[in-house]
Amino acid sequence: MTKKVLGSDQPSSMRISKMASSTIKRMLTMLCAVSVALGAAALPIATNASAAGKTNLTYWFWGEGDIPGMNNWMQQRIAIYEKANPNVTVTLVPQSNDSVIPSFTLAASQKSGPDIDTQWATLPVLQPALAGAVTPISNYIPKSETSHWLDTAENTYMGKIYAMPLYVIGVPLVWNKKLFVKAGLNPNVAPKTWAQFLTDCAALKAHGIIPFGMGNAGGDFGAWMFAIYEKQLLNSISQLTKGVANVGSNRAALLASLTKMYTMFQNLIKSGYVNSNVATLDFAQGWNLFPEGKSAMTFTTDGNALAWAKTLGQANVGAAAPPIWGNGALAKTYDATQSSSEFIASWSSNKAADAKFMGFLHSAVNMKALNTETGAFPADNRFPKGDIVGTLAKQLDGLDTAGPSVWLENFIPPTIDTAADRPAGQVITSGGSAAKAVALWSTQLTLWQTQQPSQFQQFSTWAKSA
Amino acid sequence: MQEVRIGGVTSADVVSSNDVSTPATKGGRRRRRGQLWAYGYMAPALVMLGLVFAYSLYQVVKYSFYAGGVGQLTWVGTSNYKDLLIDPQFMSSMFNNFKLLIVVPIVTSLSLIVSLIINTSFRGIRKYRAILFVPYILPAVAMGLSFSYLLQGNGILDSFLTNVHLSGLIHDWLGSPSWVIFSIGGVIVWQQFGFGVVVFSAALLAVPQEMIEAARIDGAGWWVIQRRILVPQIIRIIEFFVILQSINMLSSVFTYVYVLTGGGPAYASSVLEFFIYQNGFENGSIGIASAAAVALLALASIFIALYIWARARSAKAPH
Repeated sequence: MTKKVLGSDQPSSMRISKMASSTIKRMLTMLCAVSVALGAAALPIATNASAAGKTNLTYWFWGEGDIPGMNNWMQQRIAIYEKANPNVTVTLVPQSNDSVIPSFTLAASQKSGPDIDTQWATLPVLQPALAGAVTPISNYIPKSETSHWLDTAENTYMGKIYAMPLYVIGVPLVWNKKLFVKAGLNPNVAPKTWAQFLTDCAALKAHGIIPFGMGNAGGDFGAWMFAIYEKQLLNSISQLTKGVANVGSNRAALLASLTKMYTMFQNLIKSGYVNSNVATLDFAQGWNLFPEGKSAMTFTTDGNALAWAKTLGQANVGAAAPPIWGNGALAKTYDATQSSSEFIASWSSNKAADAKFMGFLHSAVNMKALNTETGAFPADNRFPKGDIVGTLAKQLDGLDTAGPSVWLENFIPPTIDTAADRPAGQVITSGGSAAKAVALWSTQLTLWQTQQPSQFQQFSTWAKSA
Repeated sequence: MQEVRIGGVTSADVVSSNDVSTPATKGGRRRRRGQLWAYGYMAPALVMLGLVFAYSLYQVVKYSFYAGGVGQLTWVGTSNYKDLLIDPQFMSSMFNNFKLLIVVPIVTSLSLIVSLIINTSFRGIRKYRAILFVPYILPAVAMGLSFSYLLQGNGILDSFLTNVHLSGLIHDWLGSPSWVIFSIGGVIVWQQFGFGVVVFSAALLAVPQEMIEAARIDGAGWWVIQRRILVPQIIRIIEFFVILQSINMLSSVFTYVYVLTGGGPAYASSVLEFFIYQNGFENGSIGIASAAAVALLALASIFIALYIWARARSAKAPH
């Protein structure tokens, strides 16, 4: 039986559904009204912002990993810039070592993300540039300005400069003079050749001192050994790039030279000249053995060397170019790079504003502040060398700028760096053989070629013409 | 009109069933309308599920036939799957997942033993259970940091072993390729153990006390009660736990690997999820990452099928 509702001719179920329907309609109407209201509220804001010509720049920045204090320096520059340009807002998004490459790779795939980004020099910049994700900065900043920047060759392709350097950073060998004395070594003489280095290591080990302190949990030590010592076997960078691009017999030659380098690395580990827990300490933990006075030598960045000199005393820290092991033409080049490289993303809608802000960073005041506040050596030839304070700082700057420099890691595709270079070094520090490390390179190079055909093609084109 | 009877159904019944105005038909229509409403209510959820699962799955399978990164995709057919078979990193990642299955019997037996022991009521039992559960709710990052200090070469564990004159047992637990996956397994046991205890304790509390009393009256001792009554009573829960943990060991161990070793040294602790993450996000090789995801799904499906089968069997079993 159908029940009637008082005061109505319709069955209750129908009435209820009608009631529900009218409620839904009311709710929908209300939602629409709210949406319209919100839209209307938002519209004036957008219009105001547009009318006021407000420009928002998003900057994914990395530098703290190289030089402690970089984030703070950048925050201060932004504050000054925003004060001088009230219509511009710069949102700084500091990146970690792990996020630098993956986050921009993802952004590039979506063509959405930062207006300005930081990548490490050369291929981490040029690879996305070749894929169309980077706008050459030389399109926006005149040559009269870019000609003052140092190391622009690292990010130049077909006559275009793709990224701006901020600082130049070198990788010296540092040694603890007190520990050298303890081991009966001359504290004022750095090992210049590999043989001298091994002799020093043996003396230090005999005195219960860790000769060389490092951490390789993330593969950084291995990557540095590749950058410093694989380079020393090469006569030119194209030997590496052609090997990666699999041109002729260059791949086999590259693998043969890698075998030599990893054999040397393996012997260093086997001899017990590196801390025994190198495989599990991360880069920072391994480095810390030096300022803690536990290890006598290490490779580090200029920034760390200066910071450790403050801890151990300026007179107790020596710095020199890494000992020479290889006999290639590049063996005598130093290991400095602009490292952090700043560029404009191709999808940025404010390219001129991006370039203006980037140009501002190179002003004399800002470059001076960069050196004063962080100890970094500005990548600008207008920066007066006389402003560099301290014997060690002057010495490090001298190493960075005295002659040609190559940081070999910059010249391999980021995928190969992650998938082959770093794990291969880990093979060695965890007790594996040079053959295993090289086999890993070989496999990953082959897989990269098949799995990233566009990247491989772009890399090959770049390798031919660069 | 003569009433015709066929198989117990009269023509009157047929006529009646065709009469749209009868209350029975109205009821059926209402039911159907009610069902339509129900489907209507379910529709948004079904659409969401479709978008979240079916569409994503379709995309993953589709991408597995392409090479390159997003925006630079090239059709390569099944070559990603062939590449997986020759990629030593993929193979070792898969074997690492299988090696981690050793965690399942360890965590299950440990949890079961402790649950049976603490099932006997004693003072402070609730606090004790809560303490056992704490590792399970610890943030992964905190756990990763603590255990990396504990297990690194010359770390806290090695120092302890040296102090108790067991230097022979010292290892670089996270830096040695032969030890690292078992070290990670140990951390998983430590964390999952509390969860097992809570699950088994809850199941044990549901066992009727009368059974245990009856067994006691019949002269059964503590051990017999555990072996012959309590364990058989919660056997279905144990089965579920084993299957769930097995699925976890295949498809939910990324966090442990990421925070403890980052897959190193040299991929020695990489697992399938890590392989997918590294290729998909770090290297931008979406195709190979998708092919590995499909392979992982196929592997996990075996255990998911087992789980469904066990649930169905449990539902059919007399209580």
